[in-house]
Amino acid sequence: MEKEYYIVAEHLFCVEGQDSILGLLTNYTPFKTHQRDDALFSLTVVEGGPIQYIEELRQDEEGQDIVCGHTEQGDAVFEFLWSGRTAGWLVCTAGYRQGTLHLSGFQVKAAVDNALMILFAMASACSGTVLFHAAAVSLDGKSYMFLGKSGTGKSTHARLWLQNLQGVELMNDDNPAVRIKADGTATVYGTPWSGKTPCYRNISSPLGGVVLLSQAPYNKITRLNGIGAYAAVVASISGKRWDSRIADGLHETENALAAGVPMWHLACLPDADAAHLCKDTIAV
Amino acid sequence: MKIKKGFILRTVCGENVIVGEGLDAINFGRMLSLNETAAFLWKKAMEYGDFTADSLADALCQEYDVDQAQALNDVKETLDNWTKLGVIE
Repeated sequence: MEKEYYIVAEHLFCVEGQDSILGLLTNYTPFKTHQRDDALFSLTVVEGGPIQYIEELRQDEEGQDIVCGHTEQGDAVFEFLWSGRTAGWLVCTAGYRQGTLHLSGFQVKAAVDNALMILFAMASACSGTVLFHAAAVSLDGKSYMFLGKSGTGKSTHARLWLQNLQGVELMNDDNPAVRIKADGTATVYGTPWSGKTPCYRNISSPLGGVVLLSQAPYNKITRLNGIGAYAAVVASISGKRWDSRIADGLHETENALAAGVPMWHLACLPDADAAHLCKDTIAV
Repeated sequence: MKIKKGFILRTVCGENVIVGEGLDAINFGRMLSLNETAAFLWKKAMEYGDFTADSLADALCQEYDVDQAQALNDVKETLDNWTKLGVIE
């Protein structure tokens, strides 16, 4: 077994497994570190299964199922399935500081990515950190995030910024991390998880604004405040909210973001005008 | 009556909001904004566990300067609304 250490959003974590498994994790390479202390969590990857557990909830996302449950001893279990076939079982202990992923041999890389995303989200939930389902771009030292339901055009809108606006860079196309610092400011971080777009950048910048997207036959942008802003943020963050400790941690971060970061709703077409309108409104 | 499992009161940007976070409430899919009186009643209902319109009306009378009949009226209106929304049973 080999070990590698990584830092994402200033959280250190460790992955232990066979060379053949660690060798697959090229998307984590920019996040490698020589630091060894104070790991937020560690994941051990082994072959085996099935793991017996009691089902709590099944979540279906784009052809992929994640089943959440717990063992008889009370340890959290997550089973990952693609097209109904199991890729692995993640068993979490010690308050999500330790995870063991039991691989079936099917969809190995995707199972490891899923396990690390879940452990990262759970272990950091009470440290002011959230993983967003969003596309994030940077411009003039600030980052902007685009939210919306699957298929709304988050990636498309990010691409429109890249194509039509000077100085824009893509930070992450699917799962950026956001962290609230002690002084209350929010920072966006690139992560090793970026959906179908290979954009694994170890970069960060202060969050300048958040835009909830919806499709429309016109372009119009309006400000979101209070509960509207909070609802948009909550809908973009996956988490085990029926675990009250996790729910409290997420709520604190979500509330700080809704109260402290400018948020907008952009009803838009997939065109250059939408990118210009959005940028001219939010990046000032 | 009692509050259904999984619903909790959160403070969102200074406002009182009911959200469904527990396994039994995860598909609620909305947020319910409460005014100050409704939030007071929710907290009392949580405290009591098992409550009635009368027990909440009594609590309301103790906290606010309102007569019993008016309090009972307000409580019933709030509870009707919560029943329709499915957050109490």
